[in-house]
Amino acid sequence: MKNEELDRIIEKSFKVEPGFKLPVDFAQKLTMKVIGREQWKTDLREYLLLSGVLLSLLLAASGFYYFVDKAFVLKVFAFLSSNLVPVISVVFILNFIFFTDKVILRYLFSRWSSGTKQKGKSAFF
Amino acid sequence: MNDAELINQILNGNMNAFTFLVNRYQKLVVHITGRLIQRQDELEDICQEVFMKVFQNLSKYRNESKLSTWIATIAYNTSINYLRKFKKGDEVNPDDSAALRNLTDYRSDEFEKADLHRYIRDQIELLPVQYRTVLTLFHLEEFSYQEIEQITGMPEGTIKSYLFRAKALLREKLKFVVDEDSLKLVKEITNEK
Repeated sequence: MKNEELDRIIEKSFKVEPGFKLPVDFAQKLTMKVIGREQWKTDLREYLLLSGVLLSLLLAASGFYYFVDKAFVLKVFAFLSSNLVPVISVVFILNFIFFTDKVILRYLFSRWSSGTKQKGKSAFF
Repeated sequence: MNDAELINQILNGNMNAFTFLVNRYQKLVVHITGRLIQRQDELEDICQEVFMKVFQNLSKYRNESKLSTWIATIAYNTSINYLRKFKKGDEVNPDDSAALRNLTDYRSDEFEKADLHRYIRDQIELLPVQYRTVLTLFHLEEFSYQEIEQITGMPEGTIKSYLFRAKALLREKLKFVVDEDSLKLVKEITNEK
Protein backbone atom coordinates (compact mmCIF):
# COMPACT_ATOMS: atom_id res chain seq x y z
CA MET A 1 0.00 0.00 0.00
CA LYS A 2 1.32 3.40 -0.89
CA ASN A 3 1.75 5.97 1.83
CA GLU A 4 0.64 8.83 -0.43
CA GLU A 5 -2.66 7.12 -1.09
CA LEU A 6 -3.23 6.55 2.57
CA ASP A 7 -2.25 10.13 3.31
CA ARG A 8 -4.78 11.36 0.80
CA ILE A 9 -7.54 9.31 2.43
CA ILE A 10 -6.56 10.50 5.89
CA GLU A 11 -6.32 14.15 4.86
CA LYS A 12 -9.79 13.88 3.36
CA SER A 13 -11.13 12.34 6.56
CA PHE A 14 -9.66 15.18 8.60
CA LYS A 15 -12.02 17.53 6.77
CA VAL A 16 -15.08 15.47 7.71
CA GLU A 17 -17.05 17.21 10.45
CA PRO A 18 -17.33 15.37 13.76
CA GLY A 19 -20.86 14.24 14.57
CA PHE A 20 -21.46 16.60 17.50
CA LYS A 21 -24.59 18.72 17.29
CA LEU A 22 -26.31 21.52 19.22
CA PRO A 23 -30.08 22.11 19.32
CA VAL A 24 -31.42 24.25 16.49
CA ASP A 25 -32.58 26.98 18.89
CA PHE A 26 -29.29 27.08 20.80
CA ALA A 27 -28.51 30.71 19.92
CA GLN A 28 -32.00 31.94 20.85
CA LYS A 29 -32.02 30.08 24.16
CA LEU A 30 -28.56 31.36 25.00
CA THR A 31 -29.51 34.96 24.16
CA MET A 32 -32.56 34.71 26.44
CA LYS A 33 -30.32 33.42 29.21
CA VAL A 34 -27.82 36.25 28.73
CA ILE A 35 -30.63 38.83 28.72
CA GLY A 36 -32.00 37.33 31.95
CA ARG A 37 -28.60 37.43 33.59
CA GLU A 38 -27.94 41.01 32.52
CA GLN A 39 -31.39 42.06 33.71
CA TRP A 40 -30.70 40.45 37.11
CA LYS A 41 -27.39 42.31 37.38
CA THR A 42 -29.00 45.63 36.41
CA ASP A 43 -31.86 45.15 38.89
CA LEU A 44 -29.48 44.28 41.70
CA ARG A 45 -27.30 47.30 40.92
CA GLU A 46 -30.37 49.52 40.84
CA TYR A 47 -31.57 48.16 44.18
CA LEU A 48 -28.18 48.71 45.84
CA LEU A 49 -27.94 52.21 44.39
CA LEU A 50 -31.44 53.19 45.56
CA SER A 51 -30.81 51.70 49.02
CA GLY A 52 -27.57 53.66 49.22
CA VAL A 53 -29.28 56.91 48.15
CA LEU A 54 -32.13 56.41 50.67
CA LEU A 55 -29.70 55.65 53.50
CA SER A 56 -27.53 58.66 52.64
CA LEU A 57 -30.60 60.94 52.52
CA LEU A 58 -31.75 59.65 55.90
CA LEU A 59 -28.32 60.20 57.43
CA ALA A 60 -27.99 63.66 55.88
CA ALA A 61 -31.47 64.67 57.09
CA SER A 62 -30.82 63.47 60.65
CA GLY A 63 -27.41 65.20 60.61
CA PHE A 64 -29.00 68.44 59.46
CA TYR A 65 -31.84 68.17 61.98
CA TYR A 66 -29.29 67.52 64.74
CA PHE A 67 -28.18 71.15 64.44
CA VAL A 68 -31.78 72.45 64.31
CA ASP A 69 -33.28 70.44 67.16
CA LYS A 70 -30.64 68.44 68.97
CA ALA A 71 -32.98 67.28 71.77
CA PHE A 72 -35.49 65.79 69.33
CA VAL A 73 -32.83 63.83 67.42
CA LEU A 74 -31.39 62.48 70.67
CA LYS A 75 -34.89 61.47 71.76
CA VAL A 76 -35.41 59.60 68.49
CA PHE A 77 -32.05 57.81 68.88
CA ALA A 78 -32.93 56.89 72.46
CA PHE A 79 -36.28 55.50 71.27
CA LEU A 80 -34.60 53.48 68.52
CA SER A 81 -31.93 52.03 70.79
CA SER A 82 -34.46 51.05 73.45
CA ASN A 83 -36.64 49.28 70.84
CA LEU A 84 -33.86 47.65 68.87
CA VAL A 85 -35.59 44.35 68.03
CA PRO A 86 -38.85 45.84 66.65
CA VAL A 87 -36.89 48.54 64.79
CA ILE A 88 -34.59 45.99 63.15
CA SER A 89 -37.61 43.82 62.26
CA VAL A 90 -39.43 46.73 60.63
CA VAL A 91 -36.30 47.78 58.70
CA PHE A 92 -35.76 44.18 57.63
CA ILE A 93 -39.36 43.78 56.43
CA LEU A 94 -39.32 47.08 54.56
CA ASN A 95 -35.99 46.20 52.98
CA PHE A 96 -37.30 42.77 51.99
CA ILE A 97 -40.39 44.28 50.35
CA PHE A 98 -38.18 46.74 48.50
CA PHE A 99 -35.79 43.95 47.38
CA THR A 100 -38.69 41.74 46.29
CA ASP A 101 -40.20 44.56 44.27
CA LYS A 102 -36.96 45.69 42.64
CA VAL A 103 -35.20 42.36 42.05
CA ILE A 104 -37.02 39.12 42.83
CA LEU A 105 -40.36 39.87 41.16
CA ARG A 106 -38.67 41.18 38.02
CA TYR A 107 -36.44 38.10 37.89
CA LEU A 108 -39.36 35.72 38.35
CA PHE A 109 -41.42 37.59 35.80
CA SER A 110 -38.65 37.48 33.18
CA ARG A 111 -38.14 33.76 33.84
CA TRP A 112 -41.83 33.11 33.59
CA SER A 113 -42.20 35.08 30.36
CA SER A 114 -39.15 33.43 28.72
CA GLY A 115 -40.51 30.03 29.78
CA THR A 116 -43.86 30.84 28.22
CA LYS A 117 -42.13 31.99 25.04
CA GLN A 118 -40.14 28.72 24.83
CA LYS A 119 -43.28 26.65 25.44
CA GLY A 120 -45.16 28.67 22.87
CA LYS A 121 -42.41 28.13 20.33
CA SER A 122 -42.22 24.37 20.88
CA ALA A 123 -46.01 24.12 20.72
CA PHE A 124 -46.00 26.13 17.49
CA PHE A 125 -43.30 24.04 15.82
CA MET B 1 -21.92 42.56 8.80
CA ASN B 2 -18.23 42.24 9.69
CA ASP B 3 -16.90 41.25 13.10
CA ALA B 4 -16.02 44.78 14.23
CA GLU B 5 -19.54 46.05 13.48
CA LEU B 6 -21.01 43.00 15.17
CA ILE B 7 -19.00 43.63 18.34
CA ASN B 8 -20.00 47.30 18.35
CA GLN B 9 -23.65 46.37 18.04
CA ILE B 10 -23.42 43.89 20.93
CA LEU B 11 -21.57 46.37 23.13
CA ASN B 12 -24.35 48.88 22.40
CA GLY B 13 -26.88 46.40 23.77
CA ASN B 14 -28.21 44.87 20.56
CA MET B 15 -28.94 41.29 21.61
CA ASN B 16 -29.99 40.25 18.11
CA ALA B 17 -26.38 40.91 17.13
CA PHE B 18 -25.30 38.51 19.87
CA THR B 19 -27.64 35.82 18.49
CA PHE B 20 -26.08 36.46 15.10
CA LEU B 21 -22.58 36.07 16.55
CA VAL B 22 -23.53 32.79 18.25
CA ASN B 23 -24.98 31.47 15.01
CA ARG B 24 -21.86 32.52 13.13
CA TYR B 25 -19.37 30.88 15.49
CA GLN B 26 -21.27 27.99 17.03
CA LYS B 27 -19.91 25.50 14.51
CA LEU B 28 -16.34 26.46 15.40
CA VAL B 29 -17.06 26.13 19.12
CA VAL B 30 -18.88 22.81 18.67
CA HIS B 31 -16.01 21.35 16.66
CA ILE B 32 -13.36 22.33 19.21
CA THR B 33 -15.38 21.53 22.31
CA GLY B 34 -16.88 18.34 20.90
CA ARG B 35 -13.53 16.96 19.76
CA LEU B 36 -11.96 17.72 23.13
CA ILE B 37 -14.60 16.61 25.61
CA GLN B 38 -16.29 13.98 23.41
CA ARG B 39 -19.51 14.05 25.39
CA GLN B 40 -22.68 15.00 23.58
CA ASP B 41 -24.63 15.29 26.87
CA GLU B 42 -22.25 17.95 28.23
CA LEU B 43 -21.68 19.72 24.93
CA GLU B 44 -24.55 22.20 25.16
CA ASP B 45 -23.60 23.34 28.68
CA ILE B 46 -19.96 23.85 27.76
CA CYS B 47 -20.78 25.70 24.55
CA GLN B 48 -23.12 27.88 26.57
CA GLU B 49 -20.31 28.59 29.04
CA VAL B 50 -17.99 29.50 26.16
CA PHE B 51 -20.43 32.03 24.70
CA MET B 52 -21.22 33.45 28.14
CA LYS B 53 -17.50 34.12 28.56
CA VAL B 54 -17.39 35.63 25.08
CA PHE B 55 -20.23 37.97 26.02
CA GLN B 56 -18.74 38.95 29.38
CA ASN B 57 -15.28 39.62 27.95
CA LEU B 58 -16.26 41.18 24.65
CA SER B 59 -15.40 44.67 25.87
CA LYS B 60 -11.84 43.43 26.58
CA TYR B 61 -11.40 42.08 23.06
CA ARG B 62 -8.78 44.02 21.14
CA ASN B 63 -8.33 43.61 17.41
CA GLU B 64 -4.90 42.00 17.91
CA SER B 65 -6.21 38.67 16.63
CA LYS B 66 -9.16 37.55 14.54
CA LEU B 67 -12.43 37.15 16.45
CA SER B 68 -12.54 33.48 15.47
CA THR B 69 -9.07 32.94 17.01
CA TRP B 70 -10.15 34.69 20.20
CA ILE B 71 -13.36 32.63 20.47
CA ALA B 72 -11.44 29.44 19.67
CA THR B 73 -9.02 30.27 22.51
CA ILE B 74 -11.90 30.60 24.95
CA ALA B 75 -13.44 27.34 23.68
CA TYR B 76 -10.10 25.54 23.99
CA ASN B 77 -9.39 26.80 27.53
CA THR B 78 -12.92 26.04 28.72
CA SER B 79 -12.74 22.50 27.33
CA ILE B 80 -9.29 21.86 28.82
CA ASN B 81 -10.52 23.12 32.20
CA TYR B 82 -13.49 20.76 31.92
CA LEU B 83 -11.16 17.83 31.16
CA ARG B 84 -8.91 18.72 34.11
CA LYS B 85 -11.89 19.09 36.41
CA PHE B 86 -13.14 15.63 35.58
CA LYS B 87 -9.69 14.09 36.00
CA LYS B 88 -9.00 13.31 32.43
CA GLY B 89 -5.66 15.06 32.76
CA ASP B 90 -3.72 11.94 31.83
CA GLU B 91 -5.15 12.23 28.36
CA VAL B 92 -3.44 15.60 27.94
CA ASN B 93 0.01 13.99 27.67
CA PRO B 94 0.01 11.90 24.54
CA ASP B 95 1.91 8.66 24.29
CA ASP B 96 2.00 7.26 20.77
CA SER B 97 2.22 3.60 21.69
CA ALA B 98 -0.75 3.89 24.03
CA ALA B 99 -2.62 5.86 21.41
CA LEU B 100 -1.92 3.18 18.82
CA ARG B 101 -3.19 0.52 21.22
CA ASN B 102 -6.29 2.58 21.78
CA LEU B 103 -7.18 2.61 18.12
CA THR B 104 -9.74 -0.12 17.60
CA ASP B 105 -9.04 -3.30 15.73
CA TYR B 106 -10.71 -3.65 12.39
CA ARG B 107 -10.40 -6.58 10.04
CA SER B 108 -10.01 -5.87 6.36
CA ASP B 109 -12.71 -8.37 5.40
CA GLU B 110 -15.17 -6.22 7.32
CA PHE B 111 -14.18 -3.23 5.29
CA GLU B 112 -17.10 -1.67 3.51
CA LYS B 113 -17.47 1.43 1.43
CA ALA B 114 -19.99 3.11 3.69
CA ASP B 115 -17.94 2.44 6.80
CA LEU B 116 -14.68 3.95 5.61
CA HIS B 117 -15.08 7.58 6.59
CA ARG B 118 -16.88 6.69 9.79
CA TYR B 119 -14.08 4.30 10.66
CA ILE B 120 -11.36 6.89 10.18
CA ARG B 121 -13.43 9.49 12.03
CA ASP B 122 -13.82 7.06 14.94
CA GLN B 123 -10.06 6.52 14.94
CA ILE B 124 -9.49 10.28 15.09
CA GLU B 125 -11.75 10.43 18.16
CA LEU B 126 -9.52 7.83 19.81
CA LEU B 127 -6.35 9.90 19.39
CA PRO B 128 -4.95 11.81 22.40
CA VAL B 129 -6.62 15.13 23.10
CA GLN B 130 -3.73 17.31 21.87
CA TYR B 131 -3.64 15.50 18.54
CA ARG B 132 -7.39 15.88 18.12
CA THR B 133 -7.11 19.56 18.95
CA VAL B 134 -4.44 20.40 16.40
CA LEU B 135 -6.10 18.23 13.75
CA THR B 136 -9.41 20.02 14.26
CA LEU B 137 -7.90 23.48 14.28
CA PHE B 138 -5.58 22.92 11.33
CA HIS B 139 -7.59 20.75 8.96
CA LEU B 140 -11.22 21.42 9.87
CA GLU B 141 -11.11 25.07 10.87
CA GLU B 142 -8.08 25.89 8.69
CA PHE B 143 -6.22 27.99 11.26
CA SER B 144 -2.56 28.74 10.56
CA TYR B 145 0.27 27.42 12.76
CA GLN B 146 0.60 30.88 14.36
CA GLU B 147 -3.10 31.01 15.15
CA ILE B 148 -3.04 27.50 16.65
CA GLU B 149 -0.04 28.59 18.73
CA GLN B 150 -2.09 31.56 19.96
CA ILE B 151 -5.11 29.38 20.76
CA THR B 152 -3.41 26.47 22.48
CA GLY B 153 -0.18 28.02 23.71
CA MET B 154 1.79 25.15 22.13
CA PRO B 155 4.98 26.06 20.25
CA GLU B 156 4.82 25.84 16.47
CA GLY B 157 7.24 22.92 16.42
CA THR B 158 5.04 20.91 18.77
CA ILE B 159 1.97 21.63 16.65
CA LYS B 160 3.74 20.41 13.51
CA SER B 161 5.00 17.37 15.36
CA TYR B 162 1.51 16.51 16.66
CA LEU B 163 0.05 16.87 13.17
CA PHE B 164 2.75 14.63 11.73
CA ARG B 165 2.44 12.04 14.49
CA ALA B 166 -1.35 11.96 14.35
CA LYS B 167 -1.20 11.28 10.65
CA ALA B 168 1.54 8.68 11.14
CA LEU B 169 -0.52 6.89 13.80
CA LEU B 170 -3.57 6.71 11.59
CA ARG B 171 -1.44 5.63 8.62
CA GLU B 172 0.05 2.80 10.71
CA LYS B 173 -3.38 1.69 11.79
CA LEU B 174 -4.85 1.84 8.31
CA LYS B 175 -1.92 -0.07 6.86
CA PHE B 176 -2.94 -3.07 8.93
CA VAL B 177 -6.59 -2.97 8.14
CA VAL B 178 -6.81 -1.80 4.55
CA ASP B 179 -5.57 -4.25 1.95
CA GLU B 180 -5.10 -3.74 -1.79
CA ASP B 181 -8.71 -4.63 -2.62
CA SER B 182 -9.96 -2.22 -0.05
CA LEU B 183 -7.71 0.47 -1.40
CA LYS B 184 -9.49 0.16 -4.74
CA LEU B 185 -12.74 0.82 -2.91
CA VAL B 186 -11.14 3.76 -1.19
CA LYS B 187 -10.04 5.18 -4.51
CA GLU B 188 -13.57 4.78 -5.80
CA ILE B 189 -14.94 6.66 -2.82
CA THR B 190 -12.45 9.47 -2.97
CA ASN B 191 -13.06 9.88 -6.67
CA GLU B 192 -16.78 9.94 -6.09
CA LYS B 193 -16.61 12.75 -3.52
